[in-house]
Amino acid sequence: MTTPLMIEARGVEKWYPNGFQALRGADLSVHQGEVVVIMGPSGSGKSTFIRTFNGLEDFQKGSIVVDGITLSDDVRQIDAIRREVGMVFQQFNLFPHLTVLENVALAPVLVRRRPKAEVQQQALELLDRVGIQHQAHKYPGQLSGGQQQRVAIARSLCMEPRIMLFDEPTSALDPEMVQEVLAVMQELARDGMTMVVVSHEVRFARQVASRVALMADGQVVEVAPPEQFFTAPGHERSRQFLSQIG
Amino acid sequence: MSASPNLSHPQRTASPPRLHRLRRELFASPLDGLITIALVASLAAAATGFLHWATTQARWAVIQANSNLFAIGRYPIEQQWRLWLLVTLLAAATGLSWGLLRAWPRADRRGSAWPPNDTIAAALLTAISFYVPLALHAQAGIQMRWWAITALLLLVRAAAGRWGPLVPRQLRPLLALLWPVLYLIGMVLISGGLGLMPVPPAEWGGLLLTLVEASFAILLCFPLGVLLALGRRSALPLLRWGSVVYIEFIRGAPLITLLFLGQNILGFLLPGGLAPDRVWRAAWVLTFFAAAYVAEAVRSGLAALPPGQLEAARSLGLNLPQSLMHVVLPQALRVALPATVGQFITLLQDTTLLSLIGLLDLLGVARTVMANPAFLGRNAEVYLVLAILFWCCCAALGLGSRALEHRLNPNTVALNTSAHKA
Repeated sequence: MTTPLMIEARGVEKWYPNGFQALRGADLSVHQGEVVVIMGPSGSGKSTFIRTFNGLEDFQKGSIVVDGITLSDDVRQIDAIRREVGMVFQQFNLFPHLTVLENVALAPVLVRRRPKAEVQQQALELLDRVGIQHQAHKYPGQLSGGQQQRVAIARSLCMEPRIMLFDEPTSALDPEMVQEVLAVMQELARDGMTMVVVSHEVRFARQVASRVALMADGQVVEVAPPEQFFTAPGHERSRQFLSQIG
Repeated sequence: MSASPNLSHPQRTASPPRLHRLRRELFASPLDGLITIALVASLAAAATGFLHWATTQARWAVIQANSNLFAIGRYPIEQQWRLWLLVTLLAAATGLSWGLLRAWPRADRRGSAWPPNDTIAAALLTAISFYVPLALHAQAGIQMRWWAITALLLLVRAAAGRWGPLVPRQLRPLLALLWPVLYLIGMVLISGGLGLMPVPPAEWGGLLLTLVEASFAILLCFPLGVLLALGRRSALPLLRWGSVVYIEFIRGAPLITLLFLGQNILGFLLPGGLAPDRVWRAAWVLTFFAAAYVAEAVRSGLAALPPGQLEAARSLGLNLPQSLMHVVLPQALRVALPATVGQFITLLQDTTLLSLIGLLDLLGVARTVMANPAFLGRNAEVYLVLAILFWCCCAALGLGSRALEHRLNPNTVALNTSAHKA
């Protein structure tokens, strides 16, 4: 690959305070413009792994370099990484006391110190792009789950991140709302955003992923292009997983 | 007699539906009817007994002769104009805030400039300001002043409601400054300085002293309590354990012992000038005491917040202070608001303990009045008036808290708009 490396995780190991080891030497490299979909059985450490990339989870061994910045305990480094890395959560985590527009415009004004009027203009454009243009002045509680998740994506995009992390973005949605969120993500991928997506959506992985990573027992056991991963998986755990999800 | 036609067509019945519902709820079965009648009878007996006592046996001269003492204690007569000025300012500010609250409904809500509840409140206020000075046999001049002040409040309320929408949006946050500024002006007016003759705290008394102590402690214990609650959840062990020890120590000690302790040691603990006399020492003890309880109320609000909120804020690049100010605290404090205001109400009532350390708060004044041989045996009248005064103050706090809760709660939006349509 000739494009620059955006995320490089090497031998990441993490123990929870109760002694449980969630990550046992997980490796992953993500290049600029790539969409990497992480799959795997529940409890395999997918969410924990993706949350280490922006410092939401700490880790005890190994190294993670994000956009050229090495993750360490230094709070300023973590803040610097978080400014460049957007994150979308399973539970949306919109701020319920702020309107949709205020949700999207909050961080650029506070963190990037940009003029409020300019940010709100950009926020409205982003809401338009994810199809929420008419709900800007409503509160998150008045929107459907799919709409909330699209607002959450717009909120991350308003910080103009270089990388987007998605932690099971459609798992908390009713089935009929999954597609509207995946469509937004697909468009984002087409525009060249670097994305890491923890997901169970096989169709999305087949159509959008550059590569699919399979995690099991706190390790990345296989990384392969989707056509190869879904038709001729190289690892025993991948075959097992694919047979289980049918 | 069958009730079913009335139920299906309530608008066609001869008896109004409300009366009908009352009958259904109160006399659903013979036993229900019996209980209702027994309760009404005993309530009526108690009310008649009370009215009989209040009109024939009670001697209200004890209140009429000492109304000034109950209101302001031994505040010098020639300086009382300062308190009248303060009450006038407070009335104007209340009218302004009240009117603007109605004139500036939240962007997502429809509001009425003068909802029916406000008419009831205005009528009640007018009746009280008309009747109470008359009942107290106040001098004509003083009666006129109360009426003028009430008229001012309602006029400002009406004007603010009428012309409030014309105020530019950028100026609106200035309203938040009104009350802190007014508080400082009030403290200067009460205690003197800046060219006014000083009136030492020892001469404050009655409702004035009670309100000064309570408002001082309420204003300061809130930020202190928030800091303690955050400290209790801090990652820094020293801060965490310091907060825990402080909160648990204060909550484990009765206020009265802390008040006595404070009189003896606060002079050494606080920097000179902050607690120069017994009144201010007591105010600081009340503050430190209430802060521990407010901290626990705020902690419950923090605990109710899903951890994803802080994670989302941090993921967007907000640093910890920004996340707390803009995401965590606005939500946590809204959840903690009812419990916090409950704490404020307790605090207001706890000021009566000040009488035990020799201060002339409302209860302290009452005790001196009851000790006066001229009013011997008039305890019931005095305590009744005290109870009513405290109830009014607490009710005001509760009303304010509910209005604030309603305004801050994003989840009442749907309810609110549908209520206006109905």
